[in-house]
Amino acid sequence: IRFTLLFNHYCLLILAKAGQFFSSGHTNNWAVLVCTSRFWFNYRHVANTLSVYRSVKRLGIPDSHIVLMLADDMACNHRNPKPATVFSHKNMELNVYGDDVEVDYRGYEVTVENFLRVLTGRLPPSTPRSKRLLSDDHSNILIYLTGTSRWNGFLKFQDSEEISNVELADAFEQMWTKRRYNELLFIIDTCQGASMYERFYSPNLMALASSQVGEDSLSHQPDLAIGVHLMDRYTFYLLEFLEDIHPASTANMNDLFKVCPKSQCVSTPGHRTDLFLRDPGNVLITDFFGSVRKVEITMETINLTAPMVPVSELKTESQSYVDQLPVAEIIHQKPKQRDWHPPDGFILGLWTLILLVFFKTYGAKHLKHIF
Amino acid sequence: MAAPLTLLLIVAVTIRAVLFRSSLAELIPERVEVVSPLNAWKRVVEGLALLDLGVSPYAGDVFHETPLIIYFFHFVIDYAEIVFMVMGCVFLLQFRKQKYALEAERYPLDCLELIRTPKEMYYIPLKVAMFYLLNPFTILSCVAKSTCGLNNAVIALFILCTVKGSSLMSAIFLALATYQSIYPLTLFAPALLYLLQRLYIPVNWQRSSFWLFTTQYTFMYLGSLCVMVCLSFFLLSSWDFLSSVYGFILSVPDLTPNIGLFWYFFAEMFEHFRLFFICVFQINVFFYTIPLSIKLKEHPIFLIFMQIAIISIFKSYPTVGDIALYMAFLPAWNHLYRFLRNIFLVSVVLLACSALFPVLWHLWIYAGSANSNFYYAITLLFNVAQILLVSDYFYAYLRREHHLTHGLYLKRKDGSEATLVLK
Repeated sequence: IRFTLLFNHYCLLILAKAGQFFSSGHTNNWAVLVCTSRFWFNYRHVANTLSVYRSVKRLGIPDSHIVLMLADDMACNHRNPKPATVFSHKNMELNVYGDDVEVDYRGYEVTVENFLRVLTGRLPPSTPRSKRLLSDDHSNILIYLTGTSRWNGFLKFQDSEEISNVELADAFEQMWTKRRYNELLFIIDTCQGASMYERFYSPNLMALASSQVGEDSLSHQPDLAIGVHLMDRYTFYLLEFLEDIHPASTANMNDLFKVCPKSQCVSTPGHRTDLFLRDPGNVLITDFFGSVRKVEITMETINLTAPMVPVSELKTESQSYVDQLPVAEIIHQKPKQRDWHPPDGFILGLWTLILLVFFKTYGAKHLKHIF
Repeated sequence: MAAPLTLLLIVAVTIRAVLFRSSLAELIPERVEVVSPLNAWKRVVEGLALLDLGVSPYAGDVFHETPLIIYFFHFVIDYAEIVFMVMGCVFLLQFRKQKYALEAERYPLDCLELIRTPKEMYYIPLKVAMFYLLNPFTILSCVAKSTCGLNNAVIALFILCTVKGSSLMSAIFLALATYQSIYPLTLFAPALLYLLQRLYIPVNWQRSSFWLFTTQYTFMYLGSLCVMVCLSFFLLSSWDFLSSVYGFILSVPDLTPNIGLFWYFFAEMFEHFRLFFICVFQINVFFYTIPLSIKLKEHPIFLIFMQIAIISIFKSYPTVGDIALYMAFLPAWNHLYRFLRNIFLVSVVLLACSALFPVLWHLWIYAGSANSNFYYAITLLFNVAQILLVSDYFYAYLRREHHLTHGLYLKRKDGSEATLVLK
C-alpha cells in the first residue's frame, strides 16, 4: 500500500508538472518593444530597448514576432564615437546592437498613433507584415516601454506628444475584446512608471514598472568614452537577470518581481497582478520572454508505406534543355509581328479623303489618266 | 538653284546619318531640352508596343500623340530615321516659292537701298534651307527622333500652301497642325489675312466679300479639324485621345524640366491657384494674336513669323525643335539687319544659354551641387533672349515700314536730323 501510495504520489507529481507544463494556454509569443525618446542624451532608452530585444531574441522569439520601435538612431548618430554599436555596459562590454537588429518603426514613425494602431491592429492595408502585431487569442505578448515622463499618468513620445494611462488601458481593452492576446506582460521603465498601469481593467494583464508614483527612475552609469548614460538601472538589472535565463529555465514571475530592489535601484519597482488569472508563481519567465515550443513526445510509430512512383517518363523529345526555356524564343527571334492593325474603316475613310483633296486641288483631269 | 540645294541636302543627310550611327544617338533622345513628353520618340515606341499588347496607348500617362501619328508610325516604325530626315527635307519645298515683297514705286527715292533686289531674293530660299537643315537645334531634334520635326513639316506645308494661295490646302494643313498641338490655331488669323490680301479683298467689316471669304475659310478649317478628330475616333474607337493629347497640352500635368517656363512655376504652385495660373499662362500664348494682327494686317507673312515665335516661346512643352522652326525664317528678313539693335546681345545670350543648359543639368541632377533654380535661371534667360530677338525684329520691321513711307533720312520740320523713337 505504501508502495502504491508512493507511486500514486509520484504520478500526481508528474501530472501536476505536466499540468503546469500545459496550463498556460498560449501557442505563440509576441513582443512589442518601444523606445519613445530621441536625441543623443537619451541614448540609455535605446540601449534599454535593445537589451530587452536581445534577451527576447536569445530566448527564442523570432524577428517576425517582434515589433521593435526606436525613436532615434543611436548607432548611426553622428555623435556616436563607436558607430554601429550601442553599448549597455560601460567599457564596451556588451554591444546590444549586434549584426541582426531589425527595427520595424524607426525615427519619426514612432508615434502614439502608430503604437496604438499596432496594438489594436487597425493599420492601413498597405502596412507590411513586419510592422504588424499579428497576434491571436493564444498569443502571449510582452510589451516593454521606455522613455521619459515628467509627471504622473503619461509617457512622452518624441518630446512632442504623450500617451496617457487611460489611452493605454483602453487599447488593452480593445485588444482583449478583439481577442488579440491570451496573456499580456507590460513592463515600463520611466519615472513614475507605476502610474501607467494604474488604470488597466482588462483581464490577464500583468504589469511591472521601474518606479512608483512620485519617484524618479534613475540611470545607471555613464561611459566616459561615449559620454552619456548607457542604461537605466531597472533595465540594467533586468538584463542581468535575463542573461541567466535560458529557454529551459523554470524561473517564474516572482523572481522577476524581485529584480532591482530599492538598494540597487534607488526607486521602488512596482508590479500589478490582480488582473492576472493565474498565480504569478506558476508563470514562467519564458512564457513571455521566450518562445518555448511545446513538444509532445509520442511513442507511437507511423508507417510510411505509400508506394513511390518511379521516374519512368523521361523526356523523349529531341529538344535539348536549353531550347525548352523561353530564352530560345528570344535568341532565335523572328521579326516582330505587328499584332495591331488599324481598322479598315479608318484606312478607307482616310485615303478617300486624301484622294478627294488631291483631286480638288489639282483638278479632275487626272482622273482620266488613272481610270 | 537646284545644285546648291541638292548639295545642301546631301550635307544635311550626311550629318544626320553620321550622328545616327554614333554613340550620341543614345544620349540625345534622353536630353530634356530636345524631347518633351509630347514628342519623345520612346513614348511613341511605348505607345505602339502597348497597342500590340492590346492595351489602349492612352491608358496611363505615357503616350500623348494623336492617333494619326499612331497610324503613320505603325508602318514606318522600323525606318524611323529615314522618315525624320525626309521630314527635314520637306521643309525645303517650302521656299521654292519665292516671296517677293509687294512693293510699289511710290516710295521715296532714297529708300532704294531699303528695297530688296531680286538678286538677293533669289538666294533667300537657299539661306532659309541652310538655316533650317544645318541648325544644330534641328539636327539634335532629328537625331532624337522627336516628332517635333513632323510638326514643323506640317507647319511648313501650311505656309507653303498659304503663300501659293490655295485656301483649301492651307485650311487642311492648318487643321492638321492644330490637331497635332493646339497652338497653331493662332496662325489662322495671319493665314486669313494673307489670303484676303492675295485675293485683293480689303479687310473691311462692312464688305460682304470679306465676310464671305472669312466664313468660307473658317468652315474649311473647322470642317477639316472635325473630320480629323472623328477619323481619329475611328482609329481606336474611343475618345481617350482628347484628354490625353489636348487635356495634357492645356492642363500641363507633367512638370519635367524643359526649356520653357511652365515647369518651375507649377512645381511650386499651391493647388488652390493652379487652375488660375494655367489659364493665365495659356491665354498668354493666344493673347498676342489680335493686337499683332491689327498692327501687322498688311504684312501677314511677318505676322506668321511672329506667331510661330510666340508659340515656340510660350507653349507648354517647348523644345529646341520649335525654336529651329522660327529661326529658319530669319534669313527672309535679312534686309532688316541695319535696324536690329540687340543682335550681338541676343546671339551671345542664346549661344551661352545653349551651352549652359547641359552643364547646369548635369550639376543639378548628377553632381547634386546645384538645384532647380540654376536650370530655371538659364531657362528664363534663354526665353528672355528669344523674346528680345522677336521684339527686335518687330521693331526693325516697323521701322523699315516707317522709313518706306517717310523716307530714310528723317528730317524735322526745320530741317535738322531727327531720330526715331519706338514708343
